[in-house]
Amino acid sequence: MTIIRRDPGSPHCPPVDPEKELIHVDCASHTYPDGSVGIHEMCFSVLKNEIVALCGPNGSGKSTLIEHLNGLLIPSQGDIWVSGRSITTGEKTDLWKEVGIVFQHSDDQLFAPTVLDDVMFGPLNLGMSPEEARASAMDALVAVGAERLIAKLPNYLSGGQKRLVSIAGILAMTPRIIALDEPTSDLDPVHSAMTEKLILDLRDRFGISVVIATHDLDLAARIADRVCLVKNGSIFAEGRPEEIFYNPGLIEEAGLRLPDTVRTWLEFCEKQGIASPDRPITREHLVSLLHNALS
Amino acid sequence: MATAMISEHIPDLDLITTYAERQNSLFSRVSPWTKFFMLILIVMMITLTRNLVILAALYWLILLVYWLAGLPVKKLFQWYTMPVVFVITLVGILAWTEPGTAVLAIPLPGFTLTLTDNGVLLVITLLLKALISISFSLFFLMTTRYEYFSGMIYRLFPEPLDQIFLMAYRFLFLTLAMTGSMLKAVRSRGGGLIHSIRVQGKLFAEVAGLVFIRSFERAERVHKAMIARGYHGAGSYTAQTKIPSPGFAEYGILAAAVLAIIVTEYVFPYSGGFFL
Repeated sequence: MTIIRRDPGSPHCPPVDPEKELIHVDCASHTYPDGSVGIHEMCFSVLKNEIVALCGPNGSGKSTLIEHLNGLLIPSQGDIWVSGRSITTGEKTDLWKEVGIVFQHSDDQLFAPTVLDDVMFGPLNLGMSPEEARASAMDALVAVGAERLIAKLPNYLSGGQKRLVSIAGILAMTPRIIALDEPTSDLDPVHSAMTEKLILDLRDRFGISVVIATHDLDLAARIADRVCLVKNGSIFAEGRPEEIFYNPGLIEEAGLRLPDTVRTWLEFCEKQGIASPDRPITREHLVSLLHNALS
Repeated sequence: MATAMISEHIPDLDLITTYAERQNSLFSRVSPWTKFFMLILIVMMITLTRNLVILAALYWLILLVYWLAGLPVKKLFQWYTMPVVFVITLVGILAWTEPGTAVLAIPLPGFTLTLTDNGVLLVITLLLKALISISFSLFFLMTTRYEYFSGMIYRLFPEPLDQIFLMAYRFLFLTLAMTGSMLKAVRSRGGGLIHSIRVQGKLFAEVAGLVFIRSFERAERVHKAMIARGYHGAGSYTAQTKIPSPGFAEYGILAAAVLAIIVTEYVFPYSGGFFL
């Protein structure tokens, strides 16, 4: 895959490919009731078994795009296709069954008095019986490692535990895609690593495609299969992490900062006068290259 | 976890729930239904009797149980401030209209304000009734885990009342935490000191206004998160916890309480006085 540049104003969205794409967004514009444009000329798709990172600064339109994926927002102009079916002709309710959203602030998501009740909320909305919903909720809580929290009040959970329970609440609905808005933004390093591992598990163990909206490029570099740079309500470049993150001009254009690993490697190469074809984006790869270079 | 304590004199929801979740006294192992029915019987008892001795005995008994459960008695007395002010505001005027032996007379131009023994006893009686119900309600809340409490609300109230109660509790936590952090921010910059009634009033009006706006915004976000999980306005929200049933001993205690009410009502019927 090479970097795809998308210039605003040009017709750029490829046709829907139901064989490969789980969801396809071609949103010419979404305008909020106050007249402000949330996203425009947005072309985005999620493939099977992949982790896509939407990277952009605050207010770039990442969260608005995520809300489109779940049907909370509908394009003012344009359409969304789920498994090849257009939502303007199908049932809007299908979307939340296919795509789950984990919101940025877990306190907005966890409203029930106990963890179990909260995780059961989605399965009950899917029409499961209380027994089925309970079983599904328990499975999800076990999968995220939060089964011991079932009787707890969400108010008494730590930030990391709240995030795990929020993910369990979505996982219990067995969606095909899970979108996480700033999944590690307010977590301590330990819970951040746990959430990161869980995101990888969602793809690897459960076969769920994951979309993360983040301005933490280090996170995106570690876990994403594909990176989309979002700016002013539109995706202007996308590609593999090693392609995107080794293009400092693009990152600067997006209003972001290179990941630590990339910055360290580029500075090292510059100081050592090395012109290396290697593009490390994970810490392990960087350490291995530094070790080789220094020995 | 942010503390939601706004004042020493307002019951602290965080502290109440912390006791409920963490304490392991004998009373926390009693069935929530037993405590619930006991609360109903106590309310019946204080509604039926005006006997000061019985009310005082009941109050001390509840206080003893509260203390034995390891609950904070000092805090309880601090929390009494609001109900005491409430009762005195209501009954303060009535007390001066009760016939009886005068204990205090204040001569005023054209008439004399007289406080009688019955007026004083009326205030004490109503205060005791308020404190009994409040003390036992707090005991109930602080010895019953919220998962049981929510399960009881779900079983007792029809839809949508149960949904409103269950969601309101969590929302109350968040709103109190928000208010607490805002007041902390005010105090951290030297606010909160009483410079003048006008400044203080303006400050609290601003905090209250912000709490309202932010609560509204948060409610919108919570609603959005619910819709994202398929909520469509109907009751898809259940409280699944199984609530422990009362044991034989607990049925015995409830039966004894019923008997106590009957005996009180028939042996010491109300005859216009406050004593036996």
